[in-house]
Parts: sequence; C-alpha cells; structure tokens
Amino acid sequence: MTATASAPTTALAGLLLAVADDEFVIGFSDSEWTGIAPLLEEDVAMSSLAQDELGHAAALYGLLAELTGTDADAIAYDREPGAYRHCRLLDHGRGDWAMTIARRYLYDTADGVRLEAMVGGSWAPLADLAGKLAREERYHRMHAGAWLDRLARDGGEGRERVLAALAELAPDAATVFTPLPDEPALLEAGVLTASSAEMERRWRAGISPTFERLGLPMPPPARDPGRGRLDHGEAFRWLWSEFTMVRRSDPGATW
Amino acid sequence: MTDPLALEPILGPTERGRPAFNDDLSHDERFALFEAHIADGLKIEATDWMPDEYRTAVLRFVEMHANSELMGVLPEREWLMRAPTLRRKLALTAKVQDEVGHAQLLYRVAEDLGKTREAMFDDLLAGKTKFHNVFHYPTVGWADVGMIAWLVDAAAIVAQQALRDSSYAPYARTMRKICWEESVHIMHGRDVVVTMVTGTAGQRAAIQDALDRWWGPLMQMHGPRSARDTDRDLHWKIKAKTSEELRQEFLTIYVPRIRELGLVIPDLELRYDETAGTWLYADPDWAELRTVVTNHGPMSEQRLAFRRLAREETRWVRESILGVPATA
Amino acid sequence: MTAKHVPGTAAPELVAWEVFRREKDGDPMRHGGSVMAPDAELAVHYARELYGRRQESVRLWVVRRADIVDLDDPDLLQPPLDRLYKKPGGYVMRDKLAAARAQAGQAKPKARSK
Repeated sequence: MTATASAPTTALAGLLLAVADDEFVIGFSDSEWTGIAPLLEEDVAMSSLAQDELGHAAALYGLLAELTGTDADAIAYDREPGAYRHCRLLDHGRGDWAMTIARRYLYDTADGVRLEAMVGGSWAPLADLAGKLAREERYHRMHAGAWLDRLARDGGEGRERVLAALAELAPDAATVFTPLPDEPALLEAGVLTASSAEMERRWRAGISPTFERLGLPMPPPARDPGRGRLDHGEAFRWLWSEFTMVRRSDPGATW
Repeated sequence: MTDPLALEPILGPTERGRPAFNDDLSHDERFALFEAHIADGLKIEATDWMPDEYRTAVLRFVEMHANSELMGVLPEREWLMRAPTLRRKLALTAKVQDEVGHAQLLYRVAEDLGKTREAMFDDLLAGKTKFHNVFHYPTVGWADVGMIAWLVDAAAIVAQQALRDSSYAPYARTMRKICWEESVHIMHGRDVVVTMVTGTAGQRAAIQDALDRWWGPLMQMHGPRSARDTDRDLHWKIKAKTSEELRQEFLTIYVPRIRELGLVIPDLELRYDETAGTWLYADPDWAELRTVVTNHGPMSEQRLAFRRLAREETRWVRESILGVPATA
Repeated sequence: MTAKHVPGTAAPELVAWEVFRREKDGDPMRHGGSVMAPDAELAVHYARELYGRRQESVRLWVVRRADIVDLDDPDLLQPPLDRLYKKPGGYVMRDKLAAARAQAGQAKPKARSK
C-alpha cells in the first residue's frame, strides 16, 4: 500500500485514526441500547446502526493497519484512553433516548459532510471506502432525522428532553470538525477536498433549515476547538475499561 | 371415463377450504372438528375459532418463548461491551440483535392471539410468567459467552426445529424464520470456544470452567421427562417432541463435538447405551430447575429489576412518541 | 418515505403493519410478517430491520393491517359445485386417446427429449 506521493503517512494515519475512533466510540455507546430500547422494533434498528458504525470503524482501522503495517484490533483496543482521537461530542455517556438521538443527529450530519470531502479525494483507497460509507450513512440520517422531528415536535417530555440534550452537547457539538494537525498536507495532496472550517460551514448550512423549522437552537462554535479530540473524560474512561477488559485479562491471547 | 362437464355432488364442509369448526355450530361439535383437524396434521391461523384450552396453551407456550428471547439478551449484553476484537464485537452484537428480533417476532404472534405487549411485559416483570432456566444464571467471563452461544443456542435450536411444524401456523412460520437466523449463532459460539480451547492455558481453563457451570442448567433446559399421552402441548401439536426426545437429540449431536475438543463433561454417568439406543446420564436437578424458573435463580431478581428500570426509563418515549397506551 | 407523523393532529397510536417482501429479482411480493409502529415512516424503518437487515430482501412494502381488505368466505373462494371444467384435472383423456390410437393402428409416440 502506498500513500500518495505528496501526503505523508503520518497525515493519512492521523485522519484515519480520527474517523475510525469516532465510528468505534459511537458504535460502542449506541450498542448500550441493546435489549433496553423503548420498543423492540427500535431495539433492532439501533443495533443495526451500532453495527454499521463498528463495521465502518473496522474498515477504517483495517486501512490504517495496512498503511502502517500493524493490526486493526491492536489499533482499536491496545491504546491508553488518552491516545484515542475521537471527538468530544462522543465522550458523553449514552444518556437517555433524547441524548442518543441528539448526538446521533449531530454526528451523522457532520460525518456525512466529512465523507463527502473524502469521496472526491486523491487517495483512492480512502475515496472508495468513503463512497461506500456515505451510502450506508444515508440510512442513519433518515433514522436520526425521523426521531429528531418526533422529539422536537412532541408536545411534552420529548421536546424538553431533546432541548436538554442539545444544551449539554452544545460546547462539543462541532468537535467533529476539529482541525487535524496535518490538515494542510492532506488538503495540499487533495486527500481531503475541503478544510475542517469549510466542512463545518457546510454542516451548519445543512442542518440550519431543520433546526429552524423545529425551533431548536443551533449548536455554538466548539469550546476550546484546538482540543476537540483530546481530554476525554470519565465517561470515556469507563467505556475504555469495559471494551478493553477481556483483552487485558490475557494479553497476547487470540480471541 | 370422466365427463368434465358432469356436476359432482356438493362437497362437504371440510373439503371447502375453510375449517368447519369456524362455522356456527355448537361448542361440542366445533371442539370435535377442531381436534380432528389437529389430529390430521392441519393448521390453525390467528383468525380461526379455537377452543379456550388451545388458545391458552399456545399463548402460554409462545409467551414463555418470547420472554426467554428477551431475557436471554441480558446475560450476553454485559459482554457486548467487552468483546475483545472487532470481529467478535460485530458477531456478538448481531447475535444479540437477532435475539431481540426473535422476541419481536414471538411477541407479535402472541399479540395476535389477543394479549398486548405491555400486558406481557407487566406479567414477566411481576414474575407471573416465566422464562427459560438458562437465563437466570450469571456469566462470569468471555468463555461463558462462547459456551452460551454454542451449547445453549444448540439446545434451543433442537427444540426450535421441532416446532417448525407446530399446529399453530403463525408460530410455525416464525420458527422457520428463527431457525434460519439461528444457525449462524451456533457457528459463532463454537468458533469462540474452539479458539479459546486452542489458545492460552488460561483460556482453556476458562472454557472448561464454563462447561462445568453450564452443563447442569443445559441438561435441565428441555424440562423433566413427561409422558407423551398426558402432555397437552403434544396432544394439540403445538410441539411435536417430548422433553426427553429433545435432550437425547442434543446429546447425540453435541457430546461428540464437546469431547473432540478435549473438554470433560462434568457428568461421570454420561454414556451412550448401544442396546437401549439412548444416552444415560445423572439425573438432572429438577428441584434446582423449579427454584430457578420461579425466579429464585442466582440472577433472576437482578435481571428482572434491570428490565423494570430500563422500561421505566424509556416509558416517556412510548407514551409521548410511539403511542403505547399508559399502563396503570 | 410517505406519510410523516404530525404531532398535534392526533395522538400517536402503535398499530400493526404487515410487511411484504421480494426476495430476489423476478419473485412476487410475499408476506413476511408484521411490525408495530405509529406511522408509515417508522413502519418502513422497522420493516427494513426485521425483514431486510441481512440483505435478504430487494423490496419491501408496509401496509397498515387495518387497510387490508380480507376475504376468506368459503362460499366465494371454494364454492361447492364442481368446476373441473376450469382446471387441467378436468381433462383426463387417457382412455379416449388409447381408444383412438387402437382404432388408427398407431402406437403411442415416444416423448422426444428436448
């Protein structure tokens, strides 16, 4: 596997790790609804969404593993919590149904814009994969949109809770677009066809008609944007201790 | 020679395509026709007339099955978060998803017999209806996850395959779909077990330990022996095989597969009697089974409490958005 | 996606929707089962999950159970008088053909393999 001539491996690795970690963490959080979602039919639906995200993470870790000559599971599992590069939006615990839906909506719409910026990119393996992921993500946006609509337009508790969720997520909502350290190199090489700043603009333009129609407050700019993929808190530490538990019990074992 | 234009005598009621017990006859006549219909191997649909005994029996059977799929999620759910590789995480998530899906399919069958989903959840959580014994036990490690996915699912499939021809057609059709979906689960389970058995000493020991703990519940799972001629579920052909037939089938297929891995089954009396053509085994602890299925198992109350809490936490979603009626 | 739920118009109600699916190109739509949902948009999501998440369907329909018009009247579907003239089974000609061949001195033609 060769990187494109002008984008160093570290730049590509940084991008892949960020996107893969995002998908991995949201996939784990959402799989917490398994067996306890509000409706059996919805339980099956949320589980598919979680599996999709994990499948996407696996594909991205796989690409990263090929690029760096390592192993996808090792990348996914064998890091300390501080070394994960997912965005802070995904550090919040599973929360109630409104929190899950609000987070999914913010994340899926942002991810859609990010994938678009990779689809036309100069590094074929990523551009191809991004194309496939984008097609799967449409379904995610349909689900998140359908639920955001129902919650926001609900006469009572639904609206209260989704507003509370958006308020809690507000300082971290835009962290999907945290500029990567090697972004200039990625842009110059054409691996990304838009900067993080441009992606964020597009994202806001994309969601504002919906937020306006539903009377929801638009997410503010990210707090401390430079650290949008760092400083993961307690909720993530707990998640990390769960998902690494078995692996750490017998290091080096094959599972 | 047959003259194709000859008018044949008017066909009798049973040959007219709709079962005669649906006609406006006396209860005794309907009951007799219904029994004959079942005895002939014919099927019942949700819209057919049924004697109360049959309706109650099917509902109880399906409801317990649905409850078991739903409660069966909980022992594995803990380990979903802890799956040690991406592939295992995906496989286990898909498997547990299938169990929830099966619960949906089965509750739908029961709902169409006239009991609402909320009423069934109420009864499950109040301890009025039951779920299978195996889901009342703790899972202590990843080895348990493999063991359950392999052998508990295997024991369940043996029973489920025999239900594909149930007299209650909606249940039979659901069982065919479920059996098709289940085959992958056993493969996943067996793969986990074989991987660990050929792994580190710690992994091998964990698998043997899991087998030691799960063998008892597995042997109890199909239930105590019951006489064929007094079993009403067999009479109504809701099910086709006795508990003992299912247990023997399970042993025939799986004992060799367990032993070929070098695992020791914790029953010194277990052996196949060539002359009798059956497996002999230490008598399962039926008292334990009774205690467990009446919700006095090691994890019964904890799991029911977890479910109650989860249900309360999401009540607002059902009541405001989904439209499930508020219960008392 | 068709009808969206509009809260404020009527309280949502969880009802049964029948799911029909086409397994592969050329197959008819077949009944698969049912899902509970408050409206068509969610009914389609759930149908996709319960009857299509394994890529086992190429098309799905959902129909509110209450909208299905059901006919199971045996007088209409299985009326009592003979209708063999409408079915191939009503045209058994074996004996007549044997008589005709005997009369013509002809043997029964061998079936040609295609």
